[in-house]
Amino acid sequence: MKTDMLANTGTMTKTHTLATYHWERYTFAQRIGRFLAFLAAALVVSWALVRVDIYWPWAWDAPAQILDQFQRMYPPDWSVLPRVLESLLETVNIAIIATALSVVMAVPVAFVSARNTTPHPVLWWLGRLILVATRSVNTIVWALLFVAIFGPGVVAGICAIAFRSIGFLGKLIAEGIEECDPRPVEAMTATGASRAKVILYAIVPQILPTFYAVTVLRWDINIRESTVLGLVGAGGIGMILSSAVDFLAWQQAAVILISILGVVVLGELLSAWLRRRVL
Amino acid sequence: MLKITKLTKIYGPGRPALYEFDLAIDEPGLTAIIGPSGAGKSTLLRCINRLVEPTSGSIELDGVEITKLKGAALRDVRRRIGMIFQSFNLIDRLTVMENVLSGRLGYVSFWQALTRRFPQEDIDRAYYLLERVGLAHYVNKRADALSGGERQRVGVARALMQDPKIILADEPTASLDPKTSIQIMGFLKELSEEFSIPVLVNLHNVELARRYSRRVVGLQGGRKVFDGNPGALTEDVLDAIYGTADRDPEGVLTLESSTAAPSGVAG
Amino acid sequence: MSSAATPPVGRPPSGRLWHKPAAIKNPWLRWGLIAAVVAYAYWAYTFMPINWDRVAAGLPRAARIINTAFPPDFARWQLLYSGVLESIQMALVATLLGVALSVVVAVMAARNIAPVVIYWFGRAIIVLARSLHPVIVAIIFVKAVGFGPLAGILTLTVYSVGFVGKLLAEAIEEIDRGQLEAIVSTGAGFAKTVLYGVFPQVLPRLVGLSIYQTDSNLRASAIVGIAGAGGIGNTLSSAFRRFDYDFAFAILLVIIGLILVSEAVSGRIRSRLT
Repeated sequence: MKTDMLANTGTMTKTHTLATYHWERYTFAQRIGRFLAFLAAALVVSWALVRVDIYWPWAWDAPAQILDQFQRMYPPDWSVLPRVLESLLETVNIAIIATALSVVMAVPVAFVSARNTTPHPVLWWLGRLILVATRSVNTIVWALLFVAIFGPGVVAGICAIAFRSIGFLGKLIAEGIEECDPRPVEAMTATGASRAKVILYAIVPQILPTFYAVTVLRWDINIRESTVLGLVGAGGIGMILSSAVDFLAWQQAAVILISILGVVVLGELLSAWLRRRVL
Repeated sequence: MLKITKLTKIYGPGRPALYEFDLAIDEPGLTAIIGPSGAGKSTLLRCINRLVEPTSGSIELDGVEITKLKGAALRDVRRRIGMIFQSFNLIDRLTVMENVLSGRLGYVSFWQALTRRFPQEDIDRAYYLLERVGLAHYVNKRADALSGGERQRVGVARALMQDPKIILADEPTASLDPKTSIQIMGFLKELSEEFSIPVLVNLHNVELARRYSRRVVGLQGGRKVFDGNPGALTEDVLDAIYGTADRDPEGVLTLESSTAAPSGVAG
Repeated sequence: MSSAATPPVGRPPSGRLWHKPAAIKNPWLRWGLIAAVVAYAYWAYTFMPINWDRVAAGLPRAARIINTAFPPDFARWQLLYSGVLESIQMALVATLLGVALSVVVAVMAARNIAPVVIYWFGRAIIVLARSLHPVIVAIIFVKAVGFGPLAGILTLTVYSVGFVGKLLAEAIEEIDRGQLEAIVSTGAGFAKTVLYGVFPQVLPRLVGLSIYQTDSNLRASAIVGIAGAGGIGNTLSSAFRRFDYDFAFAILLVIIGLILVSEAVSGRIRSRLT
């Protein structure tokens, strides 16, 4: 950096010194580049602001409306708590069952999608495609699809969460497999073990910690995801939240929201504790 | 027993890693392969059990040509060739016993491997070998809890579990301190004699080669430049192997110590 | 454990057993856990309202849906186009708002610079924003401010505060204490200390997080519409409701494409920044 103390005490030095010690944070080209990047970002955001379809008088009114909404939630109507807790139990069950199902489906896909364990390049591509496809479609979109197939209910919810999780679990487990130390693989190959036995002894023990950590992490995420399934009719606490909102029963909605908050925070604490234990 | 003829390995354009290499091994005992880094020592061992595919030439084990084998036939040959690695290549998260038993993977079924239900004679053999290398009290300890020397002793036991016709040892002492190195070489020599198995061992340490091997093969630039008993390893021979101008730094060190203190060198 | 007598060469002793040690040493705990899992599985099976007849009926329906979905129908591309455009606009505006709010919340929620009371308040905001799924937040905002992109923008703003606020607060907590003390010792007040001692250290992280959050908001903007909060999600959910599976499939393909492009662009920019 072209900096010098003298530049800051300019009054005491001669003019040519001032000119010599000229301080700049960036070069000219860098400044142009930064300016253009900033300008582009500003233009894009202001385009969005100007063109977005909002009736602005309403927008200015929004804080008051939201505040009003929260006032309508007070005091929470705790009489609905038993029903809410039952629904919450269903939500957690959906998350557990769906995570278990998804693990069963994700593990084979992960082994097929890892470069060092794939049986065939064509299968590798197929595995990658499955991972990208299931990961790019959001849980709630999967839920729309499964509700159309199975009708409203927990089955659609379980399938939606399980399918979305395949991509997440499969991708992370496949990455774990690719990062395995190749030396035990070499040693097991040298004993004359078949491919399946090499994977069983040299790869499986190495990825087990990753496997557990990723599964618990996904279970935690799935609790959060399963709270919204009910909105499209796929079971869980979202069902009663959505009907409470439809009937403008805000004091009941408050209890539901607080319960969701509680179970999500508990799930996160439990998941963090479990992951600390396996890693 | 092992017969290698005109073995050549070319990785890419340029100097071959191994060129028209011939070697025949018939008796048990240690055969040391010495040479500077990049001389082709590791390539040679890995060609023998086909972890590296040879470009041309022939390798026969008990009269069976193994360079053309595929699938199950290749695995059958591999399970009769034990291998010991420079960095031990143990499975860290498995127990010592599981690591030793993994030497039997070529023999047991997938189900037995999965459930760890190995035949009783395998377990007996594993206990015996672990006792021989002094690790019987560690059977259920995880491999990553062991010291370097202990890990390599597990590596030796694993190779012997395979009931091998020959053992390949790729720089088995390079990751160990001098004292442990001597211990490992001692185990290799004793077990080789006890089970009458020939051991082909890559060494970067000339002194260890002199002390423990029955026969020394010198490799330089992928070619065999010396083959004889350790007593014939003169200064001139070593110059031919390691070159006068650019000796391998470790080679230089061991040479200097061995020439400076000839009394320490046992034949 | 090891017998003292060495057996004859090559003739190992026989009869010593070995079993793989159990992963959980305490047998009570081990069998207790197994029993608990089995009991849970049974209980969950009886508790969950699963109608197997409907599941069985679903499979032929799945085939029918897939049949109608192929080939995807792009005829109503104008609807699609305006939906995508609205999603992008929502994502950008929400990122701007969300990042601005996140800076304030992060300063509040950084243990090393905020007073204790403010710290807990800041943390609470972040936990609240993170724990509620954007779709749930969207339901509430749609009721408060009506259908349309405004509810979506508010939702995504909350979502951004939860993520950017948390990570920015962590970044502030990891700053170099020395630089902070240097600014404080010049006699600067709280605002100036934050401006000169904290922000320069976390600015690169903030820029990176903002770009990442733009990508996340775009993803989320595709789904908040299902609750009625504008964007392409609205279009998708009404296509599903009207059984227009070929149009729904077209929308889905566009969403996937949009997400992949946005992920690639965001990744490229972030890798060039660092």
